[in-house]
Amino acid sequence: MRYALQMLWHERARYTAGVLAVAFSAVLIALQVGLLLGLFKITSIPIDYTSADLWVGSTAVPSVDLGKPIPKTFLSRLAGLPGVSMPEMYIANFANFTKPTGGTELCFLLGSLLDDNAAGALTLLTKEQRDALTMPFAIIVDESDVRRLGLHAPQGQKPKINGKEVTVVGTVRGLKSLAAPWVFCSLYTARQLLGPLLPSDHVTYLLARCESPERAREVARYLRERYADDMTAYTAEEFSFGSRWYWLTRTKAGLAIGYAAFLGLIVGMVITAQTLYSATVANAREFAILVALGVPRWRIAWLVVTQAFWIGVIGISLAYPVCLGLKYLALQFATDVDLRWQILAGTAVLTVAMALLSGLFALRSVRQIEPMTLLR
Amino acid sequence: MLNPGERSTCAMPRTGMTPVLRGVRLVKTYGDGDSRRVVLHECSLELYPGQLVLLMGPSGSGKSTLLAVLSGLLEPDAGQVLVDDEGQFRDLWQMNAAERENYRRRHTGFIFQGYNLLPALTARQQLEVVLHWCGDRYDVRRRVDELLERLGLLKLQGKKPAQLSGGEKQRVAIARALVKNPNFVFADEPTSALDWENGQRVMELLQAAAHDRRAAVLVVSHDHRLLPYVDVYYHLEDGYLEERGLPA
Repeated sequence: MRYALQMLWHERARYTAGVLAVAFSAVLIALQVGLLLGLFKITSIPIDYTSADLWVGSTAVPSVDLGKPIPKTFLSRLAGLPGVSMPEMYIANFANFTKPTGGTELCFLLGSLLDDNAAGALTLLTKEQRDALTMPFAIIVDESDVRRLGLHAPQGQKPKINGKEVTVVGTVRGLKSLAAPWVFCSLYTARQLLGPLLPSDHVTYLLARCESPERAREVARYLRERYADDMTAYTAEEFSFGSRWYWLTRTKAGLAIGYAAFLGLIVGMVITAQTLYSATVANAREFAILVALGVPRWRIAWLVVTQAFWIGVIGISLAYPVCLGLKYLALQFATDVDLRWQILAGTAVLTVAMALLSGLFALRSVRQIEPMTLLR
Repeated sequence: MLNPGERSTCAMPRTGMTPVLRGVRLVKTYGDGDSRRVVLHECSLELYPGQLVLLMGPSGSGKSTLLAVLSGLLEPDAGQVLVDDEGQFRDLWQMNAAERENYRRRHTGFIFQGYNLLPALTARQQLEVVLHWCGDRYDVRRRVDELLERLGLLKLQGKKPAQLSGGEKQRVAIARALVKNPNFVFADEPTSALDWENGQRVMELLQAAAHDRRAAVLVVSHDHRLLPYVDVYYHLEDGYLEERGLPA
């Protein structure tokens, strides 16, 4: 280990290409996955921007935007469970938005209770906005969707949803949408706007807070098992990840990203393997005398693999700050790169494994070490 | 066994001593057909502990080939290399590759014209790496200290090859060859890249290795100035080996 590091440092100019290749691969992998997860965070916004710990919906609902109506009576299944707050109703459904400027757009309607302790109320809303939303047919949209929805001066505009006139009472910032703009309103407004699309004795979700994350996991598991036939339950964390994962796999975006990351890995592997190979060949005479002295070849092979490991570690160490810098840069352009620890750890494992594989490929250089070459 | 009647068999048994290595009727050829060239023609010799043996001959006469055959690096076409392995004579070339490597690990040291020191390691580490990687980890520090002191290298122990002169590098290479305390030291042109002053110093060290440490040292060279330092002198020419008398 010590000799490997020492040789690496001594010939740092030679190994730089390998280290940079590894760092490049790691940055590519982490950023690709981070960008994708950041992008697909959009799909879980209704979950991530409420304070509910528990989401109960229709059987096997894969994503928050695909919930089917469930009877209100399911409230009784949650009510009274120890460590669980009073459950509340939540409506989430697609609707048809008619722009004041003409034309229509698909939107996603989110209706919740709006009082101070409501688990389903959007956490970004100010008290004034919550109060404003309690007015019938009042809605709030995100700033980024104002133009898309034809709301040039949003405050007070009167577009229509499902043919019914609504009033825009404000905007929020940071809740970008992908396929359909989010439209936030009260539970009452949502029900009125959806009309027959949602039976009056049904809602889309039931939400509740729990006394601890552990309790939320226990209750979700219990409800899933107990009522597997007609509903499902998730913790907010599970449902958020599930929603992103569904769209990630459904759109095949994961495959595209995986392919790009694979190409990055291949590039890094080839350069690292070549760097290690040429470095070992350059020292072939020095290694040859060790072989003549009886040093087993596996010792030299182990040295090459150890050097590969360190190249991986150093490459990762360089890649992390670069990733964080690029994440910050992306934020300046309102693009979220989700570099959670699992992604960074996964990148490290993958990159070091790639470096080790490069070391194995470079081992053919060890076979070329021949003491006879030392003789005149 | 040696055949005294053969022309190429010139090694004389030393009274009261048992050889530690016997090269018997060694043959080595290079090339095929018309380009076939006999480099070693039934060469035989014996190495004794505590002897410094010089093998001389013109360029291309096969000196290095003979050294490689005797040291277990190059397989002969015919003949035997009998070595004393734990009190028993065994043919080095009848051992399998692992046994031969193991034998070299335990018994042989090499010195070459190119010093071939690992550029990243200090003089001390050049010695330590041999012991560590040969799995000989007993008292490494003390053994290396002793050898460095004996070879006058203690002051240079922290220096890397780039900071050493040619003579100093060769002394480190000699220390590396001796650090395992081998029974044999094979040196191929150890002085040819050095000025005469450093060459003399190297020969003194090899002489000490033979006389003080009881190693059998075989030096291949074409430099006649080395003759005063050696105990036995062989000449190899046209594939034939003969022992010659040393100058008075």
